[in-house]
Amino acid sequence: MDIKILWMYHDLMDLYGDKGNTEVLRYRSEKRGIQCIVDTCTIGEEKDIRDYDLFFLGGGADREQQLIFDDLLKRKDNIREAMDAKTAFLLICGGYQLFGKYYKDQDGTVIDGLGFFDYYTESSDRDHRCIGNIAVETTMDNETFQAVGFENHGGQTRNVASPFARVLYGHGNTYSDGTEGFMNDQVLATYMHGPLLPKNPRIADAILKRALRKRYGEVALAPLDDTLEDKAREIMLKRLKVKK
Amino acid sequence: MGLRLKVVQSVYSVLHKSGRGGSFPGVLGLKMDPHFLEKFQMPKIVVLVTGTNGKTTTSNLIAESLREAGLKTINNRRGDNLNVGIATLLAANSDSHFRVQADAAVIEVDELTVYRQFANLHPTHFVVNNFFRDQLDRAGEMETIIRKIQEVTKDFEGHLILNGDDPNVLRICDTAKKAQIHLFSVGRNSISETVTNEASEGKFCPRCGRPLKYEYYQYSHIGRFLCEADGFGRIEPDVLVTDIDFAHRTFTAGGRIFSSFINTIYAIYNCAAVLTVMKSLGLDPECADRVFRTFVLKEGRNEVFQLSRPSVINLVKNPTGANEVMKYIVSVPGDKNLLILLNDNDQDGHDVSWIWDAHFERLNQPEIKTIVCSGRRAYDMALRLKYEGMEDRIKVIEDAEKAVEWLDEANMPSHVIATYTALHSTRAILRKAEQKWI
Repeated sequence: MDIKILWMYHDLMDLYGDKGNTEVLRYRSEKRGIQCIVDTCTIGEEKDIRDYDLFFLGGGADREQQLIFDDLLKRKDNIREAMDAKTAFLLICGGYQLFGKYYKDQDGTVIDGLGFFDYYTESSDRDHRCIGNIAVETTMDNETFQAVGFENHGGQTRNVASPFARVLYGHGNTYSDGTEGFMNDQVLATYMHGPLLPKNPRIADAILKRALRKRYGEVALAPLDDTLEDKAREIMLKRLKVKK
Repeated sequence: MGLRLKVVQSVYSVLHKSGRGGSFPGVLGLKMDPHFLEKFQMPKIVVLVTGTNGKTTTSNLIAESLREAGLKTINNRRGDNLNVGIATLLAANSDSHFRVQADAAVIEVDELTVYRQFANLHPTHFVVNNFFRDQLDRAGEMETIIRKIQEVTKDFEGHLILNGDDPNVLRICDTAKKAQIHLFSVGRNSISETVTNEASEGKFCPRCGRPLKYEYYQYSHIGRFLCEADGFGRIEPDVLVTDIDFAHRTFTAGGRIFSSFINTIYAIYNCAAVLTVMKSLGLDPECADRVFRTFVLKEGRNEVFQLSRPSVINLVKNPTGANEVMKYIVSVPGDKNLLILLNDNDQDGHDVSWIWDAHFERLNQPEIKTIVCSGRRAYDMALRLKYEGMEDRIKVIEDAEKAVEWLDEANMPSHVIATYTALHSTRAILRKAEQKWI
């Protein structure tokens, strides 16, 4: 059994340690005897996204985000085909925003997104970024659990049909609407850096299952020793007073 | 007005006599008078030093070199680089009429706030070392920092001393049209590489956005680069370092051989900056060399404590610094233990994700026996190492005192890596532990 991950714009969209997510996915696959292939794809490179089980796109600085946009737009049909072929998606921050309807920057300029989903993002004024530790509660694979991360975004994302999580501490999609990210059966999109997966192994495993589903159907994953992961998360949850 | 200064000076004097440093006098001065800093009559020579890494070392080297050249020089030697620290330094060294009593002031300034203090300090020389990704939740994106520095240097007519090997720094030339520009550069040497996995910034030409071509990298994105489209990166350095001999700690500049205080590439860059300042002032480089020979890095920069076996502590603040410290640690032969203290207080940055941008996989080698993770985010550090396959060597001891105790009892040479807010407390613990063995 193997899993093929396509890490998009690894050389440009790698802010806030997001690449740690791929290391966690690799580790947790290999521990279960599942071979994990992480391919990268940058501007101008030819890759057929349908060939992959998981598409991963992280966040980038504004400048990098502008650089990749035209290239990403050219891949729109291919991304659509991959979605139809049941490829799973993990999108962080900028990656999350780009899959929505549009992004409106501080000067009011509207940049069209890929438009796969109905949510849209509008920039807040400079002094009001959502920055800090965040704790949420989410449900994946019929299990409800808490997760932690770090958010750092100016954009306020609205009109999210199905949020990824409920905010317990921090901001989420906007300053205060209490929801975080977007999720459907195939796509998990979130503002949570940290990176997301090391301290949240349940999310990591849920993503692995989604990716494996494409070619292997439902796969049961053997439990791993997550003592360090749980401890790191518990300490943050306690500090944020989400947990006693 | 003079009265307020007197109050600040008295407070300084009381604190100083009782052996307490800190920036409280400056806090007081700025509280009583928000324009406190603007009032000082600065010395003839004012050297400001900024950048992401190496500010404290570089500014201390410059200050010592100026002293060696016979100039009465003041500097914020401990790296108190925010306005309160600078206010403390100036108040402590001025007469009752705000006249700073020195020939030269060498002032390390924080790269995030330098744009606010720049005009008040009347710099004659402005040194910019490098710009790396650093504490993004505090700093915002690097692009913003560079733009702010470009803004304040737009009308600067003094000497601008820039690292010609950092595209993010060299950019400043394009906007500082009135300044006298002096570049320093380090030529290809034994550690230069043609490929890198470290360069996260400086991939594109700031003028035209096309990818920069690198002839070689020294560390991170520092190296010899060129934009083939518009020639960005083609430089004529005032000081070019060549013939680095890391084993003997020597290098050549301007046809003269110099010594270095430590055999690392970033230290060579610090020396190059110092020599460029000396040159622009028309001072004898021999004075700088005497400082290079005898300079002792202090306060957490390769500082050695004699526990049961020697323990070397280094400050890390960002991926580039961490990468360089790790390269140094693995270059030291022999078995060793490690202690990593990761905090996430205000000065460390609340976001610890930077540890995933640093190449901790470098520590995965057999001579490193145990890695103790400590500090407020000890478990985050442990996870970082676990996912590099070092699971069986990790030990989490959240309490720093107990962690040092473990290190001492292990009876093996050790290296300690600490983030900013863990540094001073850990040094105090190490000093205490050292007493046992004296």
